[in-house]
Amino acid sequence: MLRKIAFNLFAWSIVLMVAFPLFWMLVTSVKPQFELFRRPPTILPETWTFEHYWKLLSDTNFLGYFWNSVILSTTTTIVVVAIATVGAYSLVRFRYKGRESLAFLVLFTYLLPSVVLILPLYLMLVQLGLSNTITSLVIAYTTFALPYALWLLRSFMAGIPEDLESAALVDGASRLGAFWDIILPQLLPGIISTALFTFILSWNEYLYALVLVNSDDARPLTTGVMNMLISSFNIEWSLLMAASVMMSVPLIIVFAFLQSYLTRGFGAGGVKG
Amino acid sequence: MLAAVGPPAARRPDPQRYAMAKQQQTVLERQYSRLGLLLIAPTVLVFCAVIAYPLVSAIYLSLFKIFTPTLEGTWVGLDNYRTLLVKGEFWTSLRANLIWTVGTLTLQIIFGVGMALVLHQNIWFRSLARSLILFPYFISTVVAVLVWKWLFNDLYGILNHLMISAGLIDWPIDYLGTMPNAMISVILVGAWKYFPFVVIAVLARLQSIPDQLYEAARIDGAGPIARFFDVTLPQLREVLVVIIMLRAIWDFKEFDLIFLLTGGGPVTSTQTLPLVVYKEAFALNQMGMAAAYAVIMMLIMLVFMILYMRRTQREDT
Amino acid sequence: MADVVLSNVHKKFGTFTAVEDLNLDIQQGEFISLLGPSGCGKTTTLRMLAGLEFPTSGEIRIGDRVVNDVPPGDRDIAMVFQSYALYPHMSVGQNIAYPLKKRRVPKTERAGMVAKTAEMLQLTPLLHRKPKELSGGQQQRVALGRALVRDPKVFLLDEPLSNLDAKLRGYMRAELIELHQRLGRTMVYVTHDQLEAMTMSDRIAVMEGGKLQQFAPPQEVYRAPANRFVASFIGTPGMNIVDGSLHEDAGRWTFTAPGFSVDAGQLGPDARPGPAAMGIRPEGLTIGSGPIQGITQLVEQTGHENITVVRLEDGLRMTGRTAPDRLWRTGEPVQLSIDARQAHFFAEGPTGKRLNRDVCTMDAPGSNGTSLKEATS
Repeated sequence: MLRKIAFNLFAWSIVLMVAFPLFWMLVTSVKPQFELFRRPPTILPETWTFEHYWKLLSDTNFLGYFWNSVILSTTTTIVVVAIATVGAYSLVRFRYKGRESLAFLVLFTYLLPSVVLILPLYLMLVQLGLSNTITSLVIAYTTFALPYALWLLRSFMAGIPEDLESAALVDGASRLGAFWDIILPQLLPGIISTALFTFILSWNEYLYALVLVNSDDARPLTTGVMNMLISSFNIEWSLLMAASVMMSVPLIIVFAFLQSYLTRGFGAGGVKG
Repeated sequence: MLAAVGPPAARRPDPQRYAMAKQQQTVLERQYSRLGLLLIAPTVLVFCAVIAYPLVSAIYLSLFKIFTPTLEGTWVGLDNYRTLLVKGEFWTSLRANLIWTVGTLTLQIIFGVGMALVLHQNIWFRSLARSLILFPYFISTVVAVLVWKWLFNDLYGILNHLMISAGLIDWPIDYLGTMPNAMISVILVGAWKYFPFVVIAVLARLQSIPDQLYEAARIDGAGPIARFFDVTLPQLREVLVVIIMLRAIWDFKEFDLIFLLTGGGPVTSTQTLPLVVYKEAFALNQMGMAAAYAVIMMLIMLVFMILYMRRTQREDT
Repeated sequence: MADVVLSNVHKKFGTFTAVEDLNLDIQQGEFISLLGPSGCGKTTTLRMLAGLEFPTSGEIRIGDRVVNDVPPGDRDIAMVFQSYALYPHMSVGQNIAYPLKKRRVPKTERAGMVAKTAEMLQLTPLLHRKPKELSGGQQQRVALGRALVRDPKVFLLDEPLSNLDAKLRGYMRAELIELHQRLGRTMVYVTHDQLEAMTMSDRIAVMEGGKLQQFAPPQEVYRAPANRFVASFIGTPGMNIVDGSLHEDAGRWTFTAPGFSVDAGQLGPDARPGPAAMGIRPEGLTIGSGPIQGITQLVEQTGHENITVVRLEDGLRMTGRTAPDRLWRTGEPVQLSIDARQAHFFAEGPTGKRLNRDVCTMDAPGSNGTSLKEATS
């Protein structure tokens, strides 16, 4: 019994240490500015305040960035998951020339570094007159999100028994009918987890946003918030921590309600870092 | 099922039948193939437009000297590569890149496996603990960097305060502005951010080890330590190899975390290859040289990528 | 009238030949089993009939049309899968209704047909359950129901009983036989279980290595196996097969094995002197008297008989059936005789052709002999 308690205390102290930076982020965001510079620092805030959140929403362009990120990530997710779902169906359940090498290519691009593609992509999008638009970012995000989504969905698809589709065909469905009636409902959990991962990847992306967008109209959260750090003369840590918390809100929602889908995604094909 | 038995080649089919055997696909089969190609077409189009074409033009770009703002270029052949390989910067960056990759990967694996073993036990509020551990992996690198910069802050950062009050140091440490502190800090933050990946992957494998193996080991008289080395570790070997390869690839190409934490500094001591590519292209305006760096970097990574892909292909079949 | 015909059907997967030059013609209303060990091509054959695999060459007819280019749904067939392949997100009722829905049967009619089928299979109380809430036997009946509901011309069954436990399997076997008699539809049944094939079929197609070995009624497959493979595959305990050689002397053949020889009498035109094999079923062996010396090695008591394994002097082992009242001890010396009239002779090789001249006179397809069922059980 004693050993069990000791082990639990040990385990939880490690867990809390790992989680401490996040706890500190939360605490800092609700401390008044003057309390930050107190010595010794207060672990829990003496006075709670949401002034930084108000300031973030009213005085800065945070909401604009947030909105850009929502549009950008949602569009990327819808486009990528739609293409990848039919693509994965084709890769797993059809036979044609070049199918194997295509699957190989998907894996290859899944591992490809962004910095290799970013230079020509930059040139291409500038020439197309798309720089500084959300569209340019959707196109750029496809480069990492599509191989990733394909790879995940391919393994989810392979997990659906082929007999189900065969049965539907014998029962009178066409290939696409069987896909719609039988495969899609079975694939739904996989689609949800792929969509979540794609959304999170897009939400967190930094490099493409940094290179391709240089105007507040299209700037997403990652570069937007970073700009707030760089451009301010006097760094307001509470404000930045409030921004960090707000930026993590979608993630917290996913964690609270849809965590099983994230774990499923891990099982299906590893996760992009 | 069909792979089990080979065909006994007792009787050769006669020529006419052989000709029939070479007959074309049925109409239905052709229809299916066409449908399959139709369904993969969007993927192929997107791949060609945003991946294959840029990949080829990256190699092409590396043969030019291009001034980024005007995008005007002149053909220089392999000059960029020649300059790059004799320049010290490439080698120091490669070195920094390797130190970062090996350092952070080692910590990720050690912490990750350790944490997975802890979480595999029946601790209180296990799912909450798992969520807390998982969280750093899913937050944006921007958030992680902001938080750590605040923790590292030399005047008001909690880290310096804690270390001074614990008597470990007398003066606040500059975590990001001096060497080797900067490299160590980057490696630590990288480990913190990415070790949850190892935790989840290892945990999933641990949960699939059959209990009988442990029971058998116990019957054979193995203690807890012997059981770890004789049962757990061999079972984890496969998944660890895959994790190490994947993480090595991803850590090697990491840009955001290092760029945002140190920007490659102090001077160039944490400047890894992806940072050089960015600097050449958008700070020094040398697009061609940047492309050359990117291509070289890809070639280095290709070794790992091929190793990983071969392994995956083998598992696939 | 032939209902299902396969002519010169080949199927290759890459360089691997799954089915080689298969010819089958199945009569209307017949119950046919495709029997063989795993990997013999039986499931591939069934899937080609269903339109789920495509023959590399050859022709498949169902009814009066060539169906090579007809999609599975238009072939007027129904299939029951080994895994049942019930749609997990649909209720039992929706599962059974799916083929009707795909054939645009009006909704009002559909409900009646589903209800009738459910009634027949005692599924009525389960119609609103999801497949995963059902037992194995119930799932099996739903799979059957989905096939039955649209009254197809041909039923294809892919090892439908192999996931059930032994008792339920026996029960479902009887159910299927009854169903076949009631519906009078053509059924093609894939199995690796010879007991199922022997008890249920009008004719059995024994396959091995992608090739048809024999296509005949169960009695004929048992009594006059076409070759050594069929002989050894059918029957439990299996036929004793002894390698040796054949000699001819003025039209009379003698089979010689190390330790004994058997008078083979007259053989068919394919018989050649030289290496050959002899097969004798356990019931063709008399243990207790005879010219061959051996030692009992193993005695299995099943209750109504004993299965006795005898080791001959040179290490050869023979299995025989003996009455339960005479129990030999292990290691006891015994005499053995072989009933030459019941012996089969095969040419050399694993699928060596049967050389006997006599061909049993057979009943017409469709009426199973009862004596055989005892022999194989």
